[in-house]
Amino acid sequence: MKHPAATEPSACESEETGLPFFRSWKSVYLFVLGSFIFWVALLVALTKFYS
Amino acid sequence: MSALDFVVLIGSMLGIAIYGIWRTRGRRSLETYLHGDRKTPWFAIGLSVMATQASAITFLSTPGQGYLGGLGFVQIYFGVPIALIIIAIFFLPIFRRLNVYTAYEFLGRRFDGKTRLLGAALFLVQRGLGAGLTIYAPAIVLTTVFGWPLDLTIICSGLLVIIYTVAGGSDAVTVTQKYQIGIIFAGMITAFCLLVAKLPAGLTFTDTFALAGGFQKLNAVNFSTSIHERYTFWSGLLGGTFLMLSYFGTDQSQVQRYISGSSLREGRLGLMFNAVCKIPMQFSILLLGVLIFVFYQFEPPPLFFNAASSQYLAEHSADQKLRAYETDFNSAHVQTRQQLEDWLKARHNGDQAAATAAFAGALTAHRQGEQIRVAANEELPVKNSGATANDADYVFITFILHQLPHGVIGLLVTAFFAAALSSKSAELNALGSCTTIDFYRHLIKRDATDAACLAASKWFTALWGLVAIGFALYAHLEENLIQAVNILGSIFYGVMLGLFVVAFFIRRVGGTAVFWAAVAAQMLVFFLYFIYFNPIYFNPPISYLWYPLIGCAACVLLSLIIQAALGATSKSAPASQVS
Repeated sequence: MKHPAATEPSACESEETGLPFFRSWKSVYLFVLGSFIFWVALLVALTKFYS
Repeated sequence: MSALDFVVLIGSMLGIAIYGIWRTRGRRSLETYLHGDRKTPWFAIGLSVMATQASAITFLSTPGQGYLGGLGFVQIYFGVPIALIIIAIFFLPIFRRLNVYTAYEFLGRRFDGKTRLLGAALFLVQRGLGAGLTIYAPAIVLTTVFGWPLDLTIICSGLLVIIYTVAGGSDAVTVTQKYQIGIIFAGMITAFCLLVAKLPAGLTFTDTFALAGGFQKLNAVNFSTSIHERYTFWSGLLGGTFLMLSYFGTDQSQVQRYISGSSLREGRLGLMFNAVCKIPMQFSILLLGVLIFVFYQFEPPPLFFNAASSQYLAEHSADQKLRAYETDFNSAHVQTRQQLEDWLKARHNGDQAAATAAFAGALTAHRQGEQIRVAANEELPVKNSGATANDADYVFITFILHQLPHGVIGLLVTAFFAAALSSKSAELNALGSCTTIDFYRHLIKRDATDAACLAASKWFTALWGLVAIGFALYAHLEENLIQAVNILGSIFYGVMLGLFVVAFFIRRVGGTAVFWAAVAAQMLVFFLYFIYFNPIYFNPPISYLWYPLIGCAACVLLSLIIQAALGATSKSAPASQVS
């Protein structure tokens, strides 16, 4: 049986995000971490405020 | 359920399955069967990853978890964003570059055949058992509540998912999951809106939160450093990251979803979609449970949510002791409600002292009610072994059945089955792929043609479906359903992750060292589970969230030690250079 050859990542696969406000993957990851921190802060505030 | 509910349920389930078969008709190559047509956009990948993880258990059991334990369970998902970022940066590019069918193929290329088989075997064992749970868990709850025959429900839903997964492969899974997750969201949002509308008229948004907070239901984050507490910020962040890294990064049912994208970008964005949405989604489901708790402070709750226990109570109306428990429980509820109405009036009038006193009275009456419930629950197993005391899985379905209109009941039951089928189809697809690629083609028939592998993959998918049905028919659970699934994963995932961490990051370790390290680490986790998780030997037991971290750390450390003992390896290519 023939196994598909390992493919090299093409140029378009390397760094482009294709998103309007996040040009690099680093900025996408920072946004994700930022939203995570936002939710944790919200949950901590909920815990402190209502307990 | 009325005829309308059944029309909604059967129409939706059959419609989606038939659509999946029709859309994927004519898939004739192994590549498209296992990878899809490689045109899946990021949004579909994101929904597919979400639907694979969120089984019926998530939607049935999590609101009950919120009802009984509050928001604290959300902490288990704190590891998701970090884990998904790590996978997007390190795992996904290598899986795509090597164009592997399964994650374990990568282990074979980086180490050797035996390590690949070990990784694949660990996956097959834990996911094979997990697939049984995926189908058993919703069936046990729904059949107990509706009185359907359990065996028939398991067999019918199992066969339906086998048919369209075998027929269409990876694409059928992705295509059907889009519609299934749509039904799930529609059902959950409808339930949420109707629940909010059913809360007492005078209860404002802030009153609702103050009430829930007063009953300790909004304690979402716990910074305790005790390893015995099951859900804390630290166990969620550290243990949860390892658990989620193991699940998303090494479990073929997930890997197969995100490597099917048309490009690396689509896979990465699909993962990031989940990294952003997972915590708010789980928070919303838990909040639904908390709101059901608030609702039942003003409406009489049943003494037992568990349908088997309720049925036992109804059938044994002459049992004086249980009847006395029920009467006492109802009067405790009336007192709680009265005190809460007084609290609400005083709060709205600005009388802080009266509000505090009334709320304290409500808390006392509620605690009294809960003590009665616990005492009544303890009575049950002695008298009827079939009536177990775990209420969490039945809270949401009880609310749906007794408080929501027909049509909506059908929609929500459809949502539960859609969730069961969506995760089940991904699991079967992954189990079939792994057995074909890592065992059949690798061990049994190395010269198998594409057509032979395609046929084998279909047979193995069907076989795993039948194994899951068989397991579901004989399963019995002591744990709350969603916890049972996570505990099962925790036992195996750490070592699987350890294999991949060594493969990616420690170039001097070779196949023999990592293989024996993984075997020893898995033995260690089994030992910890059976000794330290067992309250008979160790009380309180260590939280299961730490097992993936322990398993992974043990695998990495032991592989370094064994490699040092063996001497330098000649097979030490870094992951990025593996081809």
